Amino acid sequence: MVRLRRNFLPYLFLAIPIIIYLVWVIGPMFYTFYLSLTNWDGLSSPQFIGFRNYERLFTDRVFFLSLTNNMKWLASFVTVPVVLGLALAMILNRAVPGEKFFKMSFYMPMVLAMVVSGLIWGWLYHPRGGLINNVLVGLGIVEKGPGWLSDRALALWSIIIVAIWRQVGYVMVLYLAGLKSINPEFLEAAKIDGANDWQVFQKVLLPLLMPVSVIVLVISVIDSLRAFDLVSVMTRGGPANSSSVLANYMYIQAFNNYRMGYAASIAVILFLISLVFIFIYLWRVMQDELEY
Amino acid sequence: MYRKKIFVFLAVVMLLSLILTACEPETIIETVVETVIETVEVEGETVEVIVEREVEVLKDKDILIYNSYASDPAPREADEEIVQMFMDKYPQYDVIHSTINHEDFKQAIRAYLTASAPPDVMTWFAGERARFFIDNGQIMDISDVWEGEGWVEDYPTGFKALSSVDGNQYFLPTSWYWWAVYYRVSVFEELGLEPPTTWDEFIEVCDTLKENGKIPITIGTKYRWTTGAWFDYLNMRINGPEFHIDLMLGKESYEDERVLAVFDAWRDLLENDYFIEDAAAYTWSEALEPFITGEAGMYLMGDFIRDSLPPEVTDDLDFFRFPIMDPAVPIGEDAPTDGYFIAANSQNPEAAKAFLAYLGSVEVQTYNAEKLGRLPTHTGVDRSMFNAAQQKGLALIDGADYVAQFYDRDTRPEVADMGMNVFMEFWDDPGNTARLAEMLAELDAYRMEVFGAE
Repeated sequence: MVRLRRNFLPYLFLAIPIIIYLVWVIGPMFYTFYLSLTNWDGLSSPQFIGFRNYERLFTDRVFFLSLTNNMKWLASFVTVPVVLGLALAMILNRAVPGEKFFKMSFYMPMVLAMVVSGLIWGWLYHPRGGLINNVLVGLGIVEKGPGWLSDRALALWSIIIVAIWRQVGYVMVLYLAGLKSINPEFLEAAKIDGANDWQVFQKVLLPLLMPVSVIVLVISVIDSLRAFDLVSVMTRGGPANSSSVLANYMYIQAFNNYRMGYAASIAVILFLISLVFIFIYLWRVMQDELEY
Repeated sequence: MYRKKIFVFLAVVMLLSLILTACEPETIIETVVETVIETVEVEGETVEVIVEREVEVLKDKDILIYNSYASDPAPREADEEIVQMFMDKYPQYDVIHSTINHEDFKQAIRAYLTASAPPDVMTWFAGERARFFIDNGQIMDISDVWEGEGWVEDYPTGFKALSSVDGNQYFLPTSWYWWAVYYRVSVFEELGLEPPTTWDEFIEVCDTLKENGKIPITIGTKYRWTTGAWFDYLNMRINGPEFHIDLMLGKESYEDERVLAVFDAWRDLLENDYFIEDAAAYTWSEALEPFITGEAGMYLMGDFIRDSLPPEVTDDLDFFRFPIMDPAVPIGEDAPTDGYFIAANSQNPEAAKAFLAYLGSVEVQTYNAEKLGRLPTHTGVDRSMFNAAQQKGLALIDGADYVAQFYDRDTRPEVADMGMNVFMEFWDDPGNTARLAEMLAELDAYRMEVFGAE
């Protein structure tokens, strides 16, 4: 009796989160798969139309534009904030005067809601009265500041800069935590063996920071794939879809154009792309666990 | 230890139940005439007599859910006031009123409609946007309210037609506004300009403004719909309202030469830099800023522009009809009409109809006209109270041969979405005719798919 209870009890406790997870995460996921095979408009009952949404997707210029924009976002996200964040962590990990203040100010953007960041930067980017253009014109660098968010060539990058500004502090904190957990004896040993600073960094610190780097990369990839808030607030994907990303395009198709089925197929593609990275991550984590 | 936890648990439960009871519906005291049989002794005999007597009973208020998109400050205040007036007048109803941001409302409407207990009364747009829901059986037939309230006679036939499908009424149009080119009187006076009536005069005005360092036309295209107004007007002025509305209904092709003529005229305006630079960086109201400071001369906008301007600017504001480009073409105007409907599976149709009847009454329409300067649909509203601007707006619409709703209201939302993307990309690079042709071909293929047209 006692043994039975002991075996049974953990499952009982697990059952609650599992049921919630099934109902709120797994269920809707499969429902989205199903919806992506229909022409649901949010009103009438969904009609099954096979893979028509996907066929359409592969000829949709805006879809590819959004996908490319996501990739640009991803490429900048796994490079710039990672390098900057690591550099900042390295600098602020030693006793720099005012290091607490710097740490705090670099982390500050992360505390702000995305929407707030988007709105503030929207004002900074304001073509006529914005801080950036006023400074540029005031210093005589340009005669007339560009329309950061209204120029098709600049809009996406202007948004990515905001996202990076936000992300750097986050990456910095992750690396700082990683650096704190490294045993200083390793560094001392390297120094005694005659390694210079660069060699210590390259041969000792970086490999020891590898677990943090993996997490940072995965977070960066996932954050760049789910980019939505900033785009929605700052340009809504415009002008002429030039700053559209998949999540934003999905949102517009679903809630502006009421093409739920088509939006679901975009969601599925986005999900499959994320899945690749999630597998890479899980595979790595599993490998690490097996080693220990 | 256990006991302590149980006490804490019980305390929480009791607290929760207290909170929940506080949420129970309000009650009113209603006088009901009750018939009872009483036994009376008459001359030694017991006789049963039917007696009527008034009894006061405690009754739950009828709950009515009303979702509104009147989210701009002034309309919102008026909206809340009207709900209060209704509840004061009919204490048996308790209106749960939610105001939802205009854009969010448009996105949420289908979720509202398909809910098992939808909001009973909702604000919405007349025309194609309402028609879509009517055809889907989501909007309640309110012909009885139209009949019972005498609206059939009191509302102009145009508005009645806008609300009817197959002879039944589904919609209550309550207010409308006109579109026109607004200008700053002081700016025009300073430069000795007269409001233009023809296209050539309009171009002259633009040139004069530009030569004097002003922005001829301001516009904010961040939310794209403002470009729809330019397309509507250019198309109606060049090709006439009939072609325009057929195009909106998917009966004409976007690849038609006549559509290209619209873009040719538009290109002239863009390439001459008559529009404000970086228009896509502003929302429609952010683009008001140069108009307020007097840097910009004109703004093609609906009359709700007034709501967002400070009083010193509204005193200096006037408007003119979008200039005539071809005198032979009938005049079409945009005059979007807003109103109300009842959800088909409303839980409380009686209350909803009572509320709708109130919303469509002379009382409420007069209130709205006085408070917001909205033009009423009910002919019973005294028109003499309108100020000069409103009289001018009325005349503007009276002088039109056809009244359209608006680009994204007259055509299906998904086509409008792609159409406005075409306008935006064209705006960015008007000289690229090859790209324009490509985009229009794409748009037309989509039109055929959505409307199932040949």
